[in-house]
Amino acid sequence: MEAISVDMNRLKAGEVNLGTSIMAVQFKDGVVIGADSRTTTGSYIANRVTDKLTHIHDRIYCCRSGSAADTQAIADVVHQHLQMYTQMVGGAPSVHVAANVFQDLCYTNKDNLSAGIIVAGWDKEVGPSVYNIPLGGGLFRQPWAIGGSGSTYVYGYCDATYQEGWGREETVNFVKNTLSLAMSRDGSSGGVIRMCIITEEGVERAFVPGNELPKFWEGNEVLGAPLKTKEVSDAVPMPVDA
Amino acid sequence: MAAASVYTPAGFDFSNEVRNSFLTERGIPLPKATSTGTTIVGCLFKDGIVLGADTRATEGPIVADKNCEKIHYISESIRCCGAGTAADTEFTTALISSNIELHALTTGRKPRVVTAMTMLKQMLFQYQGQIGAALVLGGVDATGPHLFTIHPHGSTDKLPYVTMGSGSLAAMAVFENGWRPNMERAEALELVTAAVSAGIFNDLGSGSNVDACVITATHTEMLRNFVKPNERVQKERSYTFRRGTTKFKKEDIRSLVVSEDVIHTGEAMDTS
Amino acid sequence: MPDGSFSHPQQRQFNPYSDNGGTILAIAGADFTVIAGDTRQSEGYSIQTRYAPKVFRLTDRAVLAVNGFAADGNMFVKKVKQRLEWYRHAHAKDMPLRAIARLIQTMLYAQRFFPYYVYNILGGIEEDGSGAVYSFDPVGSYEREACRAAGAAQSLVQPFLDNQIYFKNQAAAPNQSHPAHLPLPDVLSIVIDSFTSATERHIEVGDGLEIYVVLAKGRSAQGLEGARGIQELSTKSDGDRVFVIRRELKKD
Repeated sequence: MEAISVDMNRLKAGEVNLGTSIMAVQFKDGVVIGADSRTTTGSYIANRVTDKLTHIHDRIYCCRSGSAADTQAIADVVHQHLQMYTQMVGGAPSVHVAANVFQDLCYTNKDNLSAGIIVAGWDKEVGPSVYNIPLGGGLFRQPWAIGGSGSTYVYGYCDATYQEGWGREETVNFVKNTLSLAMSRDGSSGGVIRMCIITEEGVERAFVPGNELPKFWEGNEVLGAPLKTKEVSDAVPMPVDA
Repeated sequence: MAAASVYTPAGFDFSNEVRNSFLTERGIPLPKATSTGTTIVGCLFKDGIVLGADTRATEGPIVADKNCEKIHYISESIRCCGAGTAADTEFTTALISSNIELHALTTGRKPRVVTAMTMLKQMLFQYQGQIGAALVLGGVDATGPHLFTIHPHGSTDKLPYVTMGSGSLAAMAVFENGWRPNMERAEALELVTAAVSAGIFNDLGSGSNVDACVITATHTEMLRNFVKPNERVQKERSYTFRRGTTKFKKEDIRSLVVSEDVIHTGEAMDTS
Repeated sequence: MPDGSFSHPQQRQFNPYSDNGGTILAIAGADFTVIAGDTRQSEGYSIQTRYAPKVFRLTDRAVLAVNGFAADGNMFVKKVKQRLEWYRHAHAKDMPLRAIARLIQTMLYAQRFFPYYVYNILGGIEEDGSGAVYSFDPVGSYEREACRAAGAAQSLVQPFLDNQIYFKNQAAAPNQSHPAHLPLPDVLSIVIDSFTSATERHIEVGDGLEIYVVLAKGRSAQGLEGARGIQELSTKSDGDRVFVIRRELKKD
């Protein structure tokens, strides 16, 4: 009897991949979502400043992982769907509605998609909420969610660190630290950290440049202190015989 | 001639699909399509966009065309460079160009770059990567200058400087080293030329000349064969053959001139 | 399996060979031989180097061109040179061309089931003073010919040589016949044109051209001394002589 397995790498040959570390965390006034900025085709970084935090509605965003083409197409369809919904209902959709539209697309087309999406936002019914839609098209509401290839490295950190009842600053730092750790371990993740803080008041964007990421253990005890850049002399061209 | 009674739907004809997959199974592969090995680039500058491309088209290791055009027309101030399967880039850009023109006519507005980008990505996504077009789309519209890459599966990126094709790594190295915000037109053109040249000389899939296209809000300038760093060298010998070199068994000369006598009858028409 | 399961057996194999592109050719004249090759070495769409010689002087009367997998080619030339040096120490003379050809055959066939991935063309002067070209397949099958092209652009160059050297598909003028051998200047022109043309239409050919000319003992080097970029490589001036002409090819 063959074991049921989900193929994590169902990308078509040569497809653009969001290797990715993404996450979303709920706190009392809203949600913080974050992502790295790396897009790869094989070993080549096709985009080092990608924005994987995609606008779906005024207070609803999603974090995309998996195939760039699939997740962009899904996000575009959901965006259009919710625009229609808003006009017909006469008000903003809840995060729950948005997440269900995503889930429906991901589940019914699961054979043709490789998309792992986290939907997060604020609505006036339940306040902040985070929904995780992993590969097979399931739908799970969680206080925090991580996703993408980099997430496997930081489940333990998240379990050990997350606490209920955090405020905005603590949550932002949690996202920043988690993503930094994931990006340092996962070769398919990297670049900068992009974040969105979604509250009733609005959406605020935050950005951490690649050279200002929070640092953790870097092995200095074993490898010695890193070289200071000033001490490195300029590169001299190698003499070549004519 | 009787009109075809069978309904033929618009778009691609898949009627040979079954036969061809049967042949592939039997070990007869599909014929190789002309691919544009290619270096294509685009870069944002102070007043607009500069696009660049090499001019080599290949069929495997053979150069199929030494001076092909890879910068395609979408609208007056939107152009698109194509890499990948030559036929796919040509037809997708031509189709989107037509649809953009119709869209402009119905809306009564000048077309936007995002509109072209969305049409292209939706078409390429629909075909799940079967249409092998990798595109660099650039232009200036009412909302300013825009530059996109579109991958064959339908994903897009918006960046200030982009490269695609087999020479994209060589060209990107030049951009990562030399690009600055708010460059002047001449600087941007020089950088694009350097990026495409890096592809031409370091990537075997790219070669021959540099084509460039400068798009600003007021004017689009297509610089065909902007630089020609690979002119053909003079041959050592002349290879004309003496008349009679090719043997023949039979000679048959026919007159293909049709002569006709025109006889005037009746009165001439009044042409006054 | 990408998902980490091992439900299906899989086979993986390391491929020790690669194709480094480039083209070589050789043409024999009545009392000279021309052996040439481009100097580009590539893998896939990348150029590894713009100057990697594929043509090597073995003795004052023998030149070997190797094309295919560069690592195998270089190692093979090294081993041939070693065997020729041993011969010199044992017999106090250079090995004759036809003997080198037979040596190369045995060396190639010795590796019948793990072959050198190379096509060899040996050119030079026979003991009777005639120009000769020997061409080999990777496992040692060989024959003596008047001209041969091998490598990436073989399919472009060989038909051109068949037409220009063997006068294939060319009827001779009435009451005349085609020459059995062309003069040296004509051969050099055909070699240069072969490579400039192959460079135009084949992506793996280009960068530089090295043309080796071997002249039979006593043949004057007239017409060769004036050639641009020529250099003599022979150890003696009273025997068979070897020259090399270096030219640039397009680099795109």
